[in-house]
Amino acid sequence: MTQVPALRLSKIVKSYGQLTVMHGVDLEISEGEFVVFVGPSGCGKSTLLRLIAGLDDPSSGEIEVAGKRVNGIPASERGLSMVFQSYALYPHMTVRANLSFGLENMRMDRAEIARRVNHAATLLQIDPLMDRRPGQLSGGQRQRVAIGRAIVREPKIFLFDEPLSNLDAELRVQMRVEISALHAELGNTMIYVTHDQVEAMTMADRIVVLRAGRIEQVGRPLDLYNHPANRFVAGFIGAPQMNFLGGVIAAGGGLTLDCGGTKQVRFDEAVPAGARVTVGIRPETIEVSLDGQGELTGTVTGFEQLGSVTYIYTALPNGEKLTMQLAAQVPLTRGQSIGITLPLAHTHVFLDADGRALRMAGGHR
Amino acid sequence: MAGVMRFLTRTAGGQDGRRIGVTDVLAYGYLILGVLLILVPVSWTFLSSVKPREAIEAFDTRLLPLDQIEAEVDGRGLRPLYAWDDPRTEGQPVVKVGPTRALTDVARIDRPEEVLQAPRGELVALEEVRIATENYLDPILQRGGQRNFAFFRYLGNTVFVTVVATLITLLINSMAAFALSKYEFRGRMTFTLLIVATLLIPSTIILVSLFFVVWSMGIFGSLWGVIIPAAATPTGVFLLRQYMLTIPDELLEAARMDAASEWKIYWRIVLPLSLPALSVLAILSVIWRWNDFLWPLIVLISDPTRHTLQIGLTAFSGEFSSSTHYILAMTVVSLIPVTLVFVYLQRFITTGIATTGLK
Amino acid sequence: MTPALILFYVVAALWLGGGTLWLLSHRRYRITQAPQFAMDLLGFPVEIAQAVFGRGGVPYAFLLPNMLIFGLFTFVPVILNFYVSMTGGPALNVTQRPFVGFENYRVLFDCASILQPQTCSNAGFTFWTSMFNTLWFVLFQVPVLVAVAMVTALVLNRAIAGRGFWRAMFFYPVMLSPVVIANIWKWILHRKGVLSASLEDGAASVATFAGVTGFSIMACVVLAILLLIAAERTLRAGAAPSVVWAALFGAPFVAVIAWADPVGLAQGMASGTGLWLGLALALGLLGLVIRDHRLVRPVLVALCLLAVGLLLTIQFDAVFDFSGFRAVNWLVTPATGWPFFWIVFVFCWSHMGFYMLILLAGLQAIPRDIYEAAEMDGTRPVRVFFRITLPLVMPTLTVVIVLAMIRSFQVFDEVYLLTGGGPGRETFMIVQNIFEEAFSGTNPRYGIAAAGSVLMAIVIAAFTAVQLFATRRRSGI
Repeated sequence: MTQVPALRLSKIVKSYGQLTVMHGVDLEISEGEFVVFVGPSGCGKSTLLRLIAGLDDPSSGEIEVAGKRVNGIPASERGLSMVFQSYALYPHMTVRANLSFGLENMRMDRAEIARRVNHAATLLQIDPLMDRRPGQLSGGQRQRVAIGRAIVREPKIFLFDEPLSNLDAELRVQMRVEISALHAELGNTMIYVTHDQVEAMTMADRIVVLRAGRIEQVGRPLDLYNHPANRFVAGFIGAPQMNFLGGVIAAGGGLTLDCGGTKQVRFDEAVPAGARVTVGIRPETIEVSLDGQGELTGTVTGFEQLGSVTYIYTALPNGEKLTMQLAAQVPLTRGQSIGITLPLAHTHVFLDADGRALRMAGGHR
Repeated sequence: MAGVMRFLTRTAGGQDGRRIGVTDVLAYGYLILGVLLILVPVSWTFLSSVKPREAIEAFDTRLLPLDQIEAEVDGRGLRPLYAWDDPRTEGQPVVKVGPTRALTDVARIDRPEEVLQAPRGELVALEEVRIATENYLDPILQRGGQRNFAFFRYLGNTVFVTVVATLITLLINSMAAFALSKYEFRGRMTFTLLIVATLLIPSTIILVSLFFVVWSMGIFGSLWGVIIPAAATPTGVFLLRQYMLTIPDELLEAARMDAASEWKIYWRIVLPLSLPALSVLAILSVIWRWNDFLWPLIVLISDPTRHTLQIGLTAFSGEFSSSTHYILAMTVVSLIPVTLVFVYLQRFITTGIATTGLK
Repeated sequence: MTPALILFYVVAALWLGGGTLWLLSHRRYRITQAPQFAMDLLGFPVEIAQAVFGRGGVPYAFLLPNMLIFGLFTFVPVILNFYVSMTGGPALNVTQRPFVGFENYRVLFDCASILQPQTCSNAGFTFWTSMFNTLWFVLFQVPVLVAVAMVTALVLNRAIAGRGFWRAMFFYPVMLSPVVIANIWKWILHRKGVLSASLEDGAASVATFAGVTGFSIMACVVLAILLLIAAERTLRAGAAPSVVWAALFGAPFVAVIAWADPVGLAQGMASGTGLWLGLALALGLLGLVIRDHRLVRPVLVALCLLAVGLLLTIQFDAVFDFSGFRAVNWLVTPATGWPFFWIVFVFCWSHMGFYMLILLAGLQAIPRDIYEAAEMDGTRPVRVFFRITLPLVMPTLTVVIVLAMIRSFQVFDEVYLLTGGGPGRETFMIVQNIFEEAFSGTNPRYGIAAAGSVLMAIVIAAFTAVQLFATRRRSGI
């Protein structure tokens, strides 16, 4: 028996007049999953969330929640709840009224409202704040109240719209952990929108990378990190960013790097000789030799010593830049020449024509 | 005038300890002069309104309300008293006992039978300071034969018009403002422009045809004929719309997720949050309706039972121009509520008008 | 049963009855939720719009009441006005009014020359008299009103202690009703009122003082010394000539020239040109000072010599006729210009605060750092005003001028209550004409009044358009 997905999107298109911002999105999310929509600003992730929530209606395509088509059903009747970027707490109501407002609107029994509100308050440790107004709360407390307002409705799916973007760095890390813990405790399906790939990597069961209204790749965080489907995903996931070097497919089947040196690789598919490609390599996989021995030689243009890791910024002879990350402390001076080796096992090759990753025959893993 | 530019062009703030220059003296002089020009006429009216009828009719320009002392004189009734610096009076006040001539017959009040001859110029009226409360109380309490100014009826009509019109204005203006600020819909621009247009149509040029509309609806001559045409104010719509634009849309979306109907969003979320703008509009509307003149004059003039305070006062001033003391007193009465509202809420009002820039 | 009443009952029945039924069938209320039920009932049309048309129908339901009133009481009358202006007779039912085409307009234009209203028909005479009175009024009122409002706003925009207080004081008359304002000023401007009395007292005491031996010589010397001090301060060494001191010099200078009338002295008879000559000379001096012209010094010296010379040659108390004041019935005396003056004054008194407030808001919106930058550049204050303040406040100023103009055209309340249009028809304004044609008297001529309104609307529209066009060109510097 196949389980009914908690949410299914098929061929979602959203246009505003002439402008199409969502180009046929298909997605399935299973029960209990924590899915993160990530992408640069303007990629359509918030639009997609609002379509799911019912705050906007798609121009075409189907939205199903727990197997039931919800197109045209008002937001409040889809069994979802949403935590807004600005929290959207009603400033003129107390915390308790904020939590119970929605339940009262649904004409729920008073005892049941009290039970749910108290339960959420205990869960989020906001009991002492119940009679205050949002203006009297700190950022983190407001965040908790906003989550509490989502919890009391006992929704099938939680929607989070960049909920941590208004918090400072320290609080953001703390709330990240708390939301993950909440997910573990409640076990509900959660959809979380962010532009911060660190949040995506740390919280998600599955990440959906969006760009310009299209899904670029869907997968578990490490799959995306290790096997990006295209150059965009490769560049978006991971910090510091993956290095990209220009290259061209050689006649013999290997590829020649613009900065000098060749790689003997074969691909699963036939790639015409002379096609431009981009070679991607993660900073931490590059092998560095301080005595200048290696495939390539680079000049150190800058470095950052963080103690546990060292970032080295180098320029290659043809002007391309390469960032390296070493899990050690190394003595460096600016202008020094170092040897660089790019291990084949960790190299990604993307076709410049469409940015797609080329799978290497008998490749690693 | 161009010569005062120098001090006019300095900007606000910057109390950097500079000496008080000639420009500062001129600036404060100008302000004090202006405020005097505004306060003196109003205060003068107030001071005059508590003067006795005789003082007003004689155009007594002294500040204090002085009234000639009167005393009961045996066999002659209540008579005004005079002082006459003459040894025969022994410091006692005198009353006139005959017509005023070059030599007037007077008598001491303690010896009214003994008639003395006093030169007219030597008789000085004996006066005391007396607040003439009857100027106020006669028309208000309908006493002293003063039945032509039905104060409480006028007040009741004015309060009814003001309160009802303000409530309707607040309700329908905020509804329209909510629609224009928080919804995307076909025709939003058209509606906004239509409201701008009403702002630019001077109300006096539609006077005649508005009269026909109001007459054919059957509300001419009733207070509703004053209330309803003025209830929808473009100023109010813009003021509220401007304010509602600052309420984040996410709040409304949160309420939608919370299963609130659109009407509920309006009155549970948007209205409470617009309270500052609503109160500015409420004050403005109260002042407008309280002071309305031309349209109520047309609609209500023929029926004295429906007069508002302003119309009643006008009719009274027209018919009984000899009763200046009553007119002044009733002018002050009609001025007091507005002044009180202003004293307590002036910051609210001035900033409200400055931010909307409209009237 | 009037149409409004029938409409009212139908709507009320549908609203209350239908709403109660609908709400009770869709929702459950507890007794304690009665207020909520009342609010839901009030918003029942919006609720039903949402239920029937979805969220798309809601904004229209919200707009409906407001637009209904705008439509009925603003847009319909605008259209209807044209129709009424083409009908005749006293009938109140619009459908029973006989259509007469452009007859009403023809009556209004039935003149030998519009510029001479006495050559018109009766209706044309009152209309064109009121129209020209109103045009004169606007012509005087708007510049005076806007200038005073601008000066007040500029003063309040400085570092003034207690700005809120001053601002509130200047705004206070705006809050007063026209009836109150008219009663206050009627009381003050009465022939025997406090203004006449004060002027009489003042004139009497000055006359007494002037009668003292040697007063005229002393006054001449003091005035000459004051003029010389002002001239000296204007040209203080090292600095650019001071505009303020130049103005302080200009005021008594104008007075002296106006009184002495040098042209008349030369001809041996009064010429009446003194005031204008003095004003021209003083303004010329100011212009030179503002532009920091190199001729400032010689011109100022020459003017000083002229003024002192005039003061010494003329008989001081022959110039000042102190006992000349007689009580004036300010609002009633015809052919003196006083009624018109006081109308302009009272209108300015009661409306200035409003425009001042808007201009002040416009001035305060100009960023402070622009002024600081100008100060760093060593820009002179006059130049700061003309090159920075004025262009930046121009949009607000345009709005203020247009609003003031539209309001001045509509002037009625204050004038009607103060002078009733008199004396004669000296202050008879166009709205009063419309009002009297239609609403006062036993034989209302609605058609004529409506035609007058249409013509008035055309004039206002034309003036506004010209004004907007002019300021657009000027602010394009």
